[in-house]
Amino acid sequence: MLHLDHVHLGEHSAIKVHEIERGAVSKFARALTLTDPIYFSREAAQSQGYRHIVAPPTFVVTLLPWDIPGLTLPEAGVIHGEQEFEWGEPICVTDAISVSGWVDEVKSRSGRGGQMTIITVASEGEHADGRMAFRARAVLIVTEAVDHGSR
Amino acid sequence: MEVGEEWGPVEFTVYKDQLVRYAGASDDYNPIHYDDEVARSFGLPGVIVHGMLNVGLMMSFVSDNLPQGWRLKGCSMRFRQMVEPGRRLEMRARVRNIDNDLAGLEVELHERDQRPSITGRVTIEKRG
Repeated sequence: MLHLDHVHLGEHSAIKVHEIERGAVSKFARALTLTDPIYFSREAAQSQGYRHIVAPPTFVVTLLPWDIPGLTLPEAGVIHGEQEFEWGEPICVTDAISVSGWVDEVKSRSGRGGQMTIITVASEGEHADGRMAFRARAVLIVTEAVDHGSR
Repeated sequence: MEVGEEWGPVEFTVYKDQLVRYAGASDDYNPIHYDDEVARSFGLPGVIVHGMLNVGLMMSFVSDNLPQGWRLKGCSMRFRQMVEPGRRLEMRARVRNIDNDLAGLEVELHERDQRPSITGRVTIEKRG
């Protein structure tokens, strides 16, 4: 079930620190069938000017916060409508990225499938030295059928 | 790089086994991406490809075509149609504007002869 009653727009979640592991980065790159050695080899990454093995741009999805105060999404059936990213200082293996998220906007709309709730979740990640690692915004659509848990 | 320049199309197919690997690698265990029965119970034809798996492939495609010294700065993507595994997909990009050290691209992914499944804008920047 979708629970929004206790959502306060803009209220940031507690910061969670993610340590970026070599295995997680390489596994993500392999799942995308990427072959560029900057995702697997420190030497290759450093020869391209990175500090260490670098994470593919969309690796950010593994860092996104889903424990946002007041927000409980249904377990399945949430439609991902839109996604935005802004990338800052590249995320490399051994980095520690501090991430927090918040609900930016909640809208309700009537559509063909009945009532829809459109939730924009924003988040940002920072390096230990304060430099921006990423900003992200996801637009999630929860339809009435899903919200009532009909399966 | 010039305004109007097109990159691609690149043809590819995402198979079911890749969905399972991506679910594990991205920590996204939404069953609509690996369990046909659950997917059908939500009115889907069967499992569907993670939107972000396709975006990951699109960003890789853009990266592979970047001129020397440029890098990805941001993207804004819209998921328009679901994508089923096993279909013949195409992605392409077009340079829309170049303003000194910034440029904007239009990107698109679609099933062959179908309307776009994912469209978006990608901003790239020249490193100083």
